[in-house]
Amino acid sequence: MTQQGDRFLQKAVNLGEVLIRVENDHELLSELIGIFKKDFPPLLQLLQEAVAREDMENVEARSHTLKGMLSGLSVTKAAATASRLEQMGRERKTSGLADVLTILENEVADLLPELGAYAEESKP
Amino acid sequence: MKILIADDDGLSRRLLEKTLEREGYEVIAVDNGRLALQQLSLADGPRLALLDWMMPELSGTGVCLEVRKQHDRPYVHIVLLTSRGSKQDVVAGLEAGADDYLTKPWDPAELTARLRVGQRILQLEDRLVEARETMRFKATHDNLTALFNRGVILDLLARELSRTRREKGCTVVMLGDLDHFKKVNDGYGHVVGDEVLQEIARRLLASVRSYDFVGRYGGEEFLIVLNNCDSSHAIARAEEVRNGIANHQVQTMRGLLPVTMSLGVFASRDWDLRLVEEILVETDLALYKAKADGRNCVRLAEPPVLCSIPLEQIP
Repeated sequence: MTQQGDRFLQKAVNLGEVLIRVENDHELLSELIGIFKKDFPPLLQLLQEAVAREDMENVEARSHTLKGMLSGLSVTKAAATASRLEQMGRERKTSGLADVLTILENEVADLLPELGAYAEESKP
Repeated sequence: MKILIADDDGLSRRLLEKTLEREGYEVIAVDNGRLALQQLSLADGPRLALLDWMMPELSGTGVCLEVRKQHDRPYVHIVLLTSRGSKQDVVAGLEAGADDYLTKPWDPAELTARLRVGQRILQLEDRLVEARETMRFKATHDNLTALFNRGVILDLLARELSRTRREKGCTVVMLGDLDHFKKVNDGYGHVVGDEVLQEIARRLLASVRSYDFVGRYGGEEFLIVLNNCDSSHAIARAEEVRNGIANHQVQTMRGLLPVTMSLGVFASRDWDLRLVEEILVETDLALYKAKADGRNCVRLAEPPVLCSIPLEQIP
């Protein structure tokens, strides 16, 4: 991982918290990152489609799942943004929805490659 | 102990699975509410469950509501695990039947501590159920022989007679009395007498079908109710019971003792009696006849033959 990537990850992910959650099991962390890398992009796409259609029920459901995944890996800031989207979905509030989605997309844009690199380094 | 995890998020599911396996649980993981309900409905399904709130097909609260309708299953301790954390959500989750509530992201130590609380509650429930079943057994069975007690065997007889009438079938009632049992008690002591009664109870149970009923009617008297037994077989069945006792001496702490039983037999189809008391009187009279005829034998209660001669022809 690059020094820049390292700083990004430290900023985006609460590594201390996630290490407590996996009980310092780096192998497990690597496995979880693998699941995240596989599951996250299609879910994000489903959310993007729901936002485009203003299908608020699905906005709520998809952002809820994304929030769970993000908080599971302690990607705290992005998890908070997903939570905002979930709330908007629940309240059927379409105004500003696309903007919040863009914020989320930006927050997670560099996440996957950096997490991937971190997972490689974490392997025992 | 088995535990069910239901979460559509693969990452949370794997993390929970690993955490709980480390704690020694046997983990079953599913990704939707319908599969969770299926697992919790199995006879030997898990009794601890960690359910995500929002899941495809059936929500965590939906699973709670369905599980709580299953009154014939042992209690399932359900913990809702979700990122919904408002007070309203907590109340809704608990109202749906959840026992506890944890918000995501969870702390592994808190999670396992709460599950241990759940285990303690389940253990307490198991002890209560066991105590209730013991009490129920004591209330319905004879303390010495573990056969049905007098009250229960009479209730069962009444129920069977009523069913027999409805279905136009036949119930056979046998009242058996051990011959000269007082001599066993007086000669060998009551402890040996008790041993004999226990062995006779075992033999009576062994000589009837699984759906017949055997009860201790009095001191050394036993009542046997044979369901759906044809009256033409009544005597043969009673002879089997009598031979099952007479043909093999009873092993006691004072050695082998010969024991015999006299039986009065009543077949409901041959009579037009409805009251249990009337039936017992007739069966008892048949037993009395067996005693009078030398004991260790079977006598059938015979309905009185009605006079068909016109009154004017009677001299």
